[in-house]
Amino acid sequence: MKFSFFHLMPYTDAAASADWPVPNRGFDAEKAHGYYRGYLDAMIHAEDCGFDWVGCNEHHFSPYGLMANCNVIGGALAYATKRIRIAMMGNLVPLNNPVRIAEEYAMLDCISGGRLVAGLMRGIPHEYIAYHINPDESWSRQREAIELILRCWTEPEPFGWQGEHFSFPQISIWPKPLQKPHPPLVISASSIESARFAGEMRATMGMVLISDLAMAKECVAVYREAARKAGWEPKPENILIGMHTVIADTDQQAIAALREAKKYFDQVLMGGPRTAGRLVLQKSRYYQEAANAERMRDRLAKREAATLEQQIEGGMIFCGSPESVVKQIRRVHGELGNGVFNFTMKVGNLPDAVVRRGMELFRDRVHPEVAGLGDG
Amino acid sequence: MGEGLVVRPLVYLHPAGGVRPTRVLEKLKPHQPVFPGFDGTPTVAGLNSRKALGKWVGEYIEREIGKPCDVMGCSFGGAVALWLAIQRPELVDHLVLECPAGLQTIDAKLRADPAEFRKALFVHPEKALPVSKTKEVEAENRRMLSHYGAEDGKDQDLLQHLEAIKHRALILHGTEDRIIGRESVQLLKSRLAKSFLVYVWDAAHNIEVDQPERMLELVEGFLERSEAFVVNRAG
Repeated sequence: MKFSFFHLMPYTDAAASADWPVPNRGFDAEKAHGYYRGYLDAMIHAEDCGFDWVGCNEHHFSPYGLMANCNVIGGALAYATKRIRIAMMGNLVPLNNPVRIAEEYAMLDCISGGRLVAGLMRGIPHEYIAYHINPDESWSRQREAIELILRCWTEPEPFGWQGEHFSFPQISIWPKPLQKPHPPLVISASSIESARFAGEMRATMGMVLISDLAMAKECVAVYREAARKAGWEPKPENILIGMHTVIADTDQQAIAALREAKKYFDQVLMGGPRTAGRLVLQKSRYYQEAANAERMRDRLAKREAATLEQQIEGGMIFCGSPESVVKQIRRVHGELGNGVFNFTMKVGNLPDAVVRRGMELFRDRVHPEVAGLGDG
Repeated sequence: MGEGLVVRPLVYLHPAGGVRPTRVLEKLKPHQPVFPGFDGTPTVAGLNSRKALGKWVGEYIEREIGKPCDVMGCSFGGAVALWLAIQRPELVDHLVLECPAGLQTIDAKLRADPAEFRKALFVHPEKALPVSKTKEVEAENRRMLSHYGAEDGKDQDLLQHLEAIKHRALILHGTEDRIIGRESVQLLKSRLAKSFLVYVWDAAHNIEVDQPERMLELVEGFLERSEAFVVNRAG
């Protein structure tokens, strides 16, 4: 079993706002400086806490995450670490220049000595407003951009691309990735259609915001079936499950800390993005099939309606003492057969000291119990 | 006839299906010689290889046009265009090679299944313009592949001469092409010193049918501006 320490890099002193974009008049750059330093220190420390991957991703126009370009953070991590895989999960492929993504990922792979995990994400709906990209085009842009990125990495000679969304007369990137034929891919797969796509693309599937395990199992089944049709058989390590994870010395401490932090997450960090997401989903074909849009709405509603205890019980989050979290990990792994867990341990404004303590408890009392899961 | 948007005359060398109308050809208005034996024409004694056809096209250009031309070859016609450039380099200015054949063996299973082979030609068959050829003509066109020794696709002799070609060449390949493999155009790109390989997204073997606008933009840009087609001149 592999474990990933994932960071959203939230701004933890923002006022609640449901506006989109979230007004930045109260942004304090001095505070941001401190956040970046502290968050990077925690991410580098993940290597010493037994984590196999350290990850982050791209978000725009809100305190939800301070990584407009997560590759900048990736560069810092690649230089400061030795063993841990640098998991960019990832760049929002349909919103960006695919050649630039291919170049920056190749840089990270070379700098890190071949430790990059290349996340090629479609992005959550509100990002489409930020970069003024038509959400109806999200799938066609995603498919074309990924194919182009793969060719940037693997074509032996300069080549050009004449596409629907992207055209480049000639491409020949320097550097190319160290890992051959290219770094391992992760594609978000929290819906049926995206799970199918990840299978077709021979990528690791990444599922986050699980609302119930039965629905997650269905996505895994669709992914496995799509992979078989594409001529390959996924291994457990090709299934990544993302979880908000709070580990404390006791269950009570963990639950109390998470309860407070989740208020900030739900009311402040999600405020603007929730408004923007609603605008996108009501007026676009971000989800190709109506059933998938409905399913996503259900999923988010279920998560929001559930109490903390119900979320723990339902396998939507990990929270508790090391012993409790070990049980929760075993249960979800038993249901989904995944080989990677992606922990978001900085949930909302959870104090950094609590996160640090959780990382140490993971190292000393959780990891030794679950590292061998799935090894037979 | 033969004088589209570009300055030089353009000669189009057809694929194994014979001459077919496409929006690309309607716009470019090239000279379109019909290879002997295709589309109901008689074969010529002793003319039985793609190499010989290359020489035959050279004679056609001398006779019909009388000056160097841009040459565009599609699939089977792409291999003939390469042979023309090798044998009569003085008659060729720029080359456009649309999923050219001749460099690798074509999947025998695909070739043996006409229905599957037809499917492999297009991503968007609904875009094809109507063609009025009898079944007999279609069958005779298919027979011409063996007549010209091109049944399995590969031309070992051609491979050995590619590096002699010094013309500027645009190589086009559809991202969904299952007839001419990606390795084939990669190999060609590596052997032609002044070539540009461009992949056309959402196109199969017949790029002219699947993505006429994208193809026209590329071909016209290349023939009008040569290697400067890489510079964005929009707006």
